[in-house]
Amino acid sequence: MISLESLRPKPRGSFSTLVLGIGGAGCNLLDRVVLDGFDKMQLVGINTDIQTLSACVAGRKLQLGRNVTRGLGTGGDPDLGMEATEEMREELDALLEPGQLLFLCAGLGGGTGSGATPMIARMAREKGALVMAFVLLPFSFEGRRRLSQAERALELISAECDAVVCFENDRMVETVSARAGIHEAFAAANAIISGSIRAVHDLASRPGLIAIGLDDLWQALRRQNSRCIFGHGVGEGDNAGHDALARALKSPLLGNGTALRETTTVLVNVSGGPQLTLSQVQILMDELSRHIHPDAHILFGSSVDKMLGTSVHVTILSALGEPMEQGARQPRAAEKVEPPRRKEPTVASQPEQTEEPEQPEEFHESLLPEPREEVPVATLDDSEDAPSVPKPEAVPAQKAVNEAKQEDFKFEPIKRGRFEKSEPTIVEGQDLDVPTFLRKNVRMK
Amino acid sequence: MAKENILVGLEIGTWKICAVVAETRSDGMLQILGVGHAPSRGVRKGEIVDFDTAQKCIREALADAEEKSNVEIGSAWVGVTGAHIQSFNNRGTVLLPEDRDEIDDQDIEDVKVSAREVSLSPENHFLHNIIQHYSVDGKEGIVDPSGMIGSKLEADYHIVYGVGNRLKNTIRCVKEIPLEVEDVVLNGLASAFVVLTPESKQHGTLMIDIGAGTIDWVVFYQGVVVQSGVLAVGGDHITNDIAMGLRLPTNRAERLKTEEGSALLGNSLPGDTIVLQDETGFAGREVERELLNTIIHMRLREAFELLKRQLEQEPYLERLGGGVLLTGGTSQLRGIEHLASDVFGLPTKRVHAMDVSGVTSAFMNPQYSTAIGLAKYGQAVMRERVNPTIADRITGSVENMSLAIKRFLTRKRSKS
Repeated sequence: MISLESLRPKPRGSFSTLVLGIGGAGCNLLDRVVLDGFDKMQLVGINTDIQTLSACVAGRKLQLGRNVTRGLGTGGDPDLGMEATEEMREELDALLEPGQLLFLCAGLGGGTGSGATPMIARMAREKGALVMAFVLLPFSFEGRRRLSQAERALELISAECDAVVCFENDRMVETVSARAGIHEAFAAANAIISGSIRAVHDLASRPGLIAIGLDDLWQALRRQNSRCIFGHGVGEGDNAGHDALARALKSPLLGNGTALRETTTVLVNVSGGPQLTLSQVQILMDELSRHIHPDAHILFGSSVDKMLGTSVHVTILSALGEPMEQGARQPRAAEKVEPPRRKEPTVASQPEQTEEPEQPEEFHESLLPEPREEVPVATLDDSEDAPSVPKPEAVPAQKAVNEAKQEDFKFEPIKRGRFEKSEPTIVEGQDLDVPTFLRKNVRMK
Repeated sequence: MAKENILVGLEIGTWKICAVVAETRSDGMLQILGVGHAPSRGVRKGEIVDFDTAQKCIREALADAEEKSNVEIGSAWVGVTGAHIQSFNNRGTVLLPEDRDEIDDQDIEDVKVSAREVSLSPENHFLHNIIQHYSVDGKEGIVDPSGMIGSKLEADYHIVYGVGNRLKNTIRCVKEIPLEVEDVVLNGLASAFVVLTPESKQHGTLMIDIGAGTIDWVVFYQGVVVQSGVLAVGGDHITNDIAMGLRLPTNRAERLKTEEGSALLGNSLPGDTIVLQDETGFAGREVERELLNTIIHMRLREAFELLKRQLEQEPYLERLGGGVLLTGGTSQLRGIEHLASDVFGLPTKRVHAMDVSGVTSAFMNPQYSTAIGLAKYGQAVMRERVNPTIADRITGSVENMSLAIKRFLTRKRSKS
């Protein structure tokens, strides 16, 4: 008998996820992550100050610099933080694994966060983990010294990590209502970062209809001097998709969606409960496409999770900066290189991506900077490689033509007539611009 | 002619743009001097999407109104609507100090502030804060608590808000005409000002202003606004459905809807057809009447049912003694009152502006309810500015409190 188990989508990749909260701010953030209930990740709080560390609710804790600082903080000295980290090298090393997805959370500007984070990032990279740092820059009122320390640390971290998502405390405040209490304001900032971590993790791990893997994440993020732009929004109720997108675009790092215009690759993940409909996703993606550069490559993922109920989560992730040179960082052996995907959201009807005949090796051959003319391969997604390969002028033009052709065959399951270009009216999950009789399947002659 | 008595209501609708010029007569009655209108372009679902085109249409409507009323228009009360507008009820509380038990005016001011003190997300702005009732020591339904004895004063407010930038867009569009904006007013509220009698407000009434782009609705109960909202579905959707269902050009579909359409089913014989005349660029053909009516019926029934579900989130719907009142351009559709009555289970009738005099053809037509309502709202607010206590009694409940909006205006003014 065929077991149904085998038909279920397999859990994607066999990577483990580790979240390290480094320093005071990192530990606070970790508390929030714990509160949000991430059972699938390993959470470790790391600090020099034993008092704050013992208050941290993370499952595992690691004290840095037992002999260097003797349980006290670093007093805002990154060098001391570094020294303390050096002392605990072996313990840290035991935590790290090859092929792991590692999140580092730290507030920069102090001693522990600024000193320890770059070191841990380097150790993890050497081990072969995918390292993503979520860092907080201090408030401008905290003084220039802290800020310059933070900037120096940020430089070091950017050099060591695969991706850095940088939140500025000053801008986080803008997202919180002016009347909110100080606790509420910090909680809101932490919640945004915690939501971001969760979103990235979910992106890579949740079994998706259209799954996004570590490779896609990496594709979207590998840039020199990368500055991540990141938006995450949750919507509830009738207009969930629209609200979620609007909130995601409002995220402090997206600058109201303007930053998206400048990127070449955008990773978008839409997740929702079992009620998530294709038309909802399509409306949402249509709306999003107005904010993205027309030639940008969209990596689209979608997943359904019962836990999400009626809410819809939208995550937008991209990076600004120069595309990284090919070969500067090859995907490590631990990462699964998957065949490229088509970007049309309509493939959602396929339960799982069927394996393309292309082997990873061939895929890499196709990266060679040779002008290619064959049409079928071009439609198959060489735009994914476009940012990384300098190509002669003629080839992008050819591609543009192909894309235009594709547009013509785009499957349109819904019809909105004269409201085609206006903002959709979505009530109770239905697009009211589509004639009622079409939605209720009443036949007209 | 005394200039300060002139009030202009400007409705930037999806179907038409309409400017009503009115004057307060010496007996306090509002007299319509002239109504200017122009077909609207550049407006979708009640919101301006094409600035230049919309401005052109607004200028046309204003010029028409100036010509008909022989008044130069300098400022207007502008109506706003759109799916982004939402509302809720909020209660504010003030405790009197222990050494005093008589409620004074300062306490009333304080409770107002406390009731309006709600944190909206940063993109939203207040549009209206409307006092419903006060209550003293838990005794509800007090209209004027000043001088009463008590220790706890509470005030219930109905708060209407919308997305700041979208509200600003309308204001900017009008100011660039150039025309002074006295204030922006929610369309539904403006209509309610002229189509509802004090009795119907008291008994509890649902007013539905169904236009081309949106359905604006307001529920009055015991004389005050208790629920309000906007559903971005309107006559345009019906036309679009007809155009798509019967494969007709939009303008043909629009004519078919107004001339032949009905929201009721089962009133035509099988095989009853409508013959569409040949026109330039359009070959004539026959359309089955029942099919046309089915399209209209399904759309409107759906819209009303959605509205009913929204209303059912609060307990007022079943207590409405005044029934349902329909106004707005699309309310002229045949059979719509029977359909509404069927869906809401309440007596329904079609109404137009009342309590005004002047150009009869204007106020007798439900299309102009909002624009006339805007002028009437303006009249009430102006009177309040002169003498707040009298105005309080006359307007009953509506207060002009869109501080946030005024703030943008002043900011804009100081820049320019």
